[in-house]
Amino acid sequence: MIISYNWLKEFVDVDLSPADLSAMLTMLGLEVERMEERFTGMDSVVVALVQEKAQHPNADKLSVCKVNNGSEILDIVCGAQNFKAGDKVALAQIGTVLPGDFKIKRSKIRGEESCGMLCSEKELGIADESAGIMILPQDLQLGVPVFDALGMKDVIFEIGLTPNRSDCLSIIGIAREVAAKLGKKVRKQEFGIVEGDRKANEFASVTIEDADLCPRYAARYISGCKIGPSPSWLVERLTAVGMRSINNVVDVTNYVLMEYGHPLHAFDHDQLVEGRIVVKRAGEGERFTTLDDQERTLTAEDLTIRDGGRAVALAGIMGGQNSEISDSTVNILLESAWFNPSAIRRTSKRLGIHSESSHRFERGADIEAVPTALDRAASLICELAGGTIAAGMIDVYPAPYSPRAITLRQNRIEELLGIAITPEHTRQILESLECSIAVEGSDLCRVTVPSYRVDLEREIDLIEELARMFGYDNIPVTMPYARVSSDRPPLHQRLERKVRDLLVSSGFNEVVNFSFSPQDVPEKMLLPADDHRAVHVKLLNPLIDEHAVMRTTLLPGLLETSARNANFRVFNQRIFELRRVYLVKPDDDSPSEPLVLGGLLSGLRSPEGWNQGKDEVDFFDAKGVVENLFDALNVPAVKFESREIEPFYHPGKACTVFSAGERIGSIGEIHPTVQENYAIEKPVYYFELDMNRLVPKVSEKVAISAPSRFPDATRDIAMLLDDSVAADAISACVSALKIKEIEELFLFDLYKGEHIPAGQKSIAIRLRYRLPDRTLTDEEVTALHQRVVNALVNNLGAAIR
Amino acid sequence: MSMNEQLEQLKTRALQEIAAISGEEELQNLRVKYLGKKGELTSVMKGIGALTPEERPKLGQVVNAVRDLLEERIESVLQQTRKNARDAKLRSERIDVTLPGRQQPKGSKHPVSMVIEEVSDIFAGLGFQVAEGPEIELDYYNFEALNFPKDHPARDMQDTFFVENDLLLRTHTSPVQIRTMLNHAPPVRVIAPGTVYRCDYDATHSPMFHQIEGFMVDKGITFADLKGILTIFVTQYFGKEIGVRLRPSFFPFTEPSAEVDIACVICKGKGCRVCKQSGWLEILGAGMVDPEVFRHVQYDPESVSGFAFGMGIERIAMLKYGINDMRLLFENDLRFLRQF
Repeated sequence: MIISYNWLKEFVDVDLSPADLSAMLTMLGLEVERMEERFTGMDSVVVALVQEKAQHPNADKLSVCKVNNGSEILDIVCGAQNFKAGDKVALAQIGTVLPGDFKIKRSKIRGEESCGMLCSEKELGIADESAGIMILPQDLQLGVPVFDALGMKDVIFEIGLTPNRSDCLSIIGIAREVAAKLGKKVRKQEFGIVEGDRKANEFASVTIEDADLCPRYAARYISGCKIGPSPSWLVERLTAVGMRSINNVVDVTNYVLMEYGHPLHAFDHDQLVEGRIVVKRAGEGERFTTLDDQERTLTAEDLTIRDGGRAVALAGIMGGQNSEISDSTVNILLESAWFNPSAIRRTSKRLGIHSESSHRFERGADIEAVPTALDRAASLICELAGGTIAAGMIDVYPAPYSPRAITLRQNRIEELLGIAITPEHTRQILESLECSIAVEGSDLCRVTVPSYRVDLEREIDLIEELARMFGYDNIPVTMPYARVSSDRPPLHQRLERKVRDLLVSSGFNEVVNFSFSPQDVPEKMLLPADDHRAVHVKLLNPLIDEHAVMRTTLLPGLLETSARNANFRVFNQRIFELRRVYLVKPDDDSPSEPLVLGGLLSGLRSPEGWNQGKDEVDFFDAKGVVENLFDALNVPAVKFESREIEPFYHPGKACTVFSAGERIGSIGEIHPTVQENYAIEKPVYYFELDMNRLVPKVSEKVAISAPSRFPDATRDIAMLLDDSVAADAISACVSALKIKEIEELFLFDLYKGEHIPAGQKSIAIRLRYRLPDRTLTDEEVTALHQRVVNALVNNLGAAIR
Repeated sequence: MSMNEQLEQLKTRALQEIAAISGEEELQNLRVKYLGKKGELTSVMKGIGALTPEERPKLGQVVNAVRDLLEERIESVLQQTRKNARDAKLRSERIDVTLPGRQQPKGSKHPVSMVIEEVSDIFAGLGFQVAEGPEIELDYYNFEALNFPKDHPARDMQDTFFVENDLLLRTHTSPVQIRTMLNHAPPVRVIAPGTVYRCDYDATHSPMFHQIEGFMVDKGITFADLKGILTIFVTQYFGKEIGVRLRPSFFPFTEPSAEVDIACVICKGKGCRVCKQSGWLEILGAGMVDPEVFRHVQYDPESVSGFAFGMGIERIAMLKYGINDMRLLFENDLRFLRQF
């Protein structure tokens, strides 16, 4: 909504600078998003008098003039023909920059000196077209900047109106707010209606068939109009508020729309075959061409204005091509009506038409403004296009509006706002908003609200008005009385943060990918059709195909992130995402949204540098991260097994992760085909954990034991094992011996290849023996160690080296 | 030559030799040569038998003096030599400390996560609990119960992604208010960070973004209390000197409603490109919970009141880190993320 400072001042005496007005409007809830001065920086275009006009000696079409700018006489060469000596004109003096970055310089034109330029409306940016230079009224004073002299300097304010304030969708609406805040009154507009002899109902009639959607329809008949361009003041006003001039009649309807906020429509009466207006729902499937030349298919929900049988307008939204005002229009039927907001909105939404008119009707116009706006427009049309207004306004208004009264409790104001406003102050504020107040007891009053405030329906609405006019800035700052809450954040919230912190300290960068995904993800990830992740929650109105559905897995987003970063030549990647995926539940409309952790590693293990390792990451880096995480979170009974491998992994370099027998995740190298599908060149390692399954298993209680103060004894075992013996079989074999003296066992060497028989591997483990309460003797250690060696030999077929 | 003379000669010679050498091994050899069991001083001492008993103690004194002198001199040179040798070694071990240290991969939290954690921590300190809700939400919770009737222009404020069966992608975190109040009797004091979606995509709008919702309902909560809580938040997060203002606005689920501005963190309120010359930056929307919302959750608006507020995480992150294109936050360019 754009308003003009000059226009506003027609309705209220504003004694504030534009900047102060802007700040005041914003603090009233009418946020000024943009403020712009019109016709500034052109003060060197002044009112001047043509004293002499002579033929240019060297050019037929030019004249040489003596022009008085109020302080000196200048020589000006001009090419226009439409002026004579004695005319007052707009002189752009040397140094002026006209619209279009056109700089006026001293010049010689065909040998004659010219010290400025006489301007046309077009050159000044007032009109799109103009014939000849602008001739100014004789009463203007010489030397005064033209735009000051014409009163055209203006400031416009673009206001971001909230949808509740339909009453402010007009100059008068804003004027009412300004007047209320400044303690002034809105000036009432004076205009006269001169009616002709013939009665309006001789030319037209109005019948409302669907009064639920149209409780009021008024019209006036104006005959003998002459359609033509609008005068420049009207064009300028419309231009200032961002509208285009069409012709005088249409411009008047738009002018009144901006002034009163009430939409009007003008029909070419001669195009109405019957002249009998019927307000009625359209027929299902009815076709209708709106004045933007679009053919629309209507439904029985859409309200139409009909000329007898055929539709001539889409009520409150847009007129029809069949009856629009044209250059040859003579007789006009002018409509001013009120339509049901929801109905207007439904139709305008469905047909995708958003007009100034529908915008106001769907937010709620003022039903009591119907006749005023109609008369204002009729009067202006007569003034600008001639014509005679037929006697009598047609006004079908079966159930007139009855003013709304709301009960307001004085104590409620303090209870909700925390301020004590006196009853007198309350009355003063509400009266400034044109409410009327009837006191009913010490704490109670009945407030009758004006018809244009469709947003005031309840007590709380009045309390908001009080707060607004009182000024939010004047409300004190207090702290609520606190009933202390002592709960810690729940475990899953604490764990989420812990996981994030752990990964960040392990060198991972957290990423946030969109929850959307394209539909072909299952194929690209090699998921079988019956995989639960191949079924998506679909969006009915996606913005782009890549965002057609909700993701069922984090992997594609992470792969795309990896590929994109590789394109930027960032190859060493450790990234993770800890966010939701969206899974369709077979017997529930609402999908589930489990929280998943996905991590991806690729490239070098360490950052590049003169003293850094040069190894690339592999499966065990990914597994190490998961193990560290489990260790920190205390995840019980973890197993990494090479069964139920996800299809998107390399089948030989992946595992499934279990805790206490339940599948909680997976780790692996991404399958080369998947890698190709995402245009990734280097091997990529991935891990994924289902947080919803992991969290319930985590226990925050950990028993810590004091370390032994006695010396340890370490013994190594180097052995050859069959390749098929898994590493965890060694620790399982040793643990089965239940030797309490073994404090630690770890694998410190693994070798396959030269000097080792095919199908075998060389493994070295180190055992640390220790007791908490005494030193072990050498003999004891030797005996224990022998038991370990024997078990490995007997149970795993180890050949000790 | 008398023994005294011999001693004097020996002393002079030894001192000359000590002064001439510097190696530790040579010094040790010198010590053996003069002071050892078979050293020259011992040899001189052998002549003591030829002296008179009166002369003997005198000579003993002289010998001891020479011995002490030589010992001390050798030891002193020895110490100096050792020190020189260590100093030389240290000098030779000098490294170029301007070479870079050994690096670990540098991790980082996403700015969205950081802001959520920081803001949540402030409100946790004020007794707020964190609540969550589904992102694929029912129309009822997202709109209807928050007093956005069907066919109401207020719905245009939030371009919505629709899913079948009356479901949609929540356009704000406010449905968590409804879900929380339906499950808890007052008092409630909750914040709800989360992901939200709107059909809009350009430099300042992302189809997916994040909000933190906060609300408090209890007996006697006022608009002045809302100002109090928000002022505490703003001063804790943006600094004590940052001005706050509330101005009237409209949200269907609050009344009175407010937009909350802070003094522009870039220009400190003087007016700049970021604040569009206004000196203020809009950071959150707030208001008193509308009685209609209470009706939907079976709270009695006559006995409890409350406030709600919501802020855009990206907006706050962009202000805090001087990011001017929201898309940067979701491109996941590691060169960007590693700066956090």
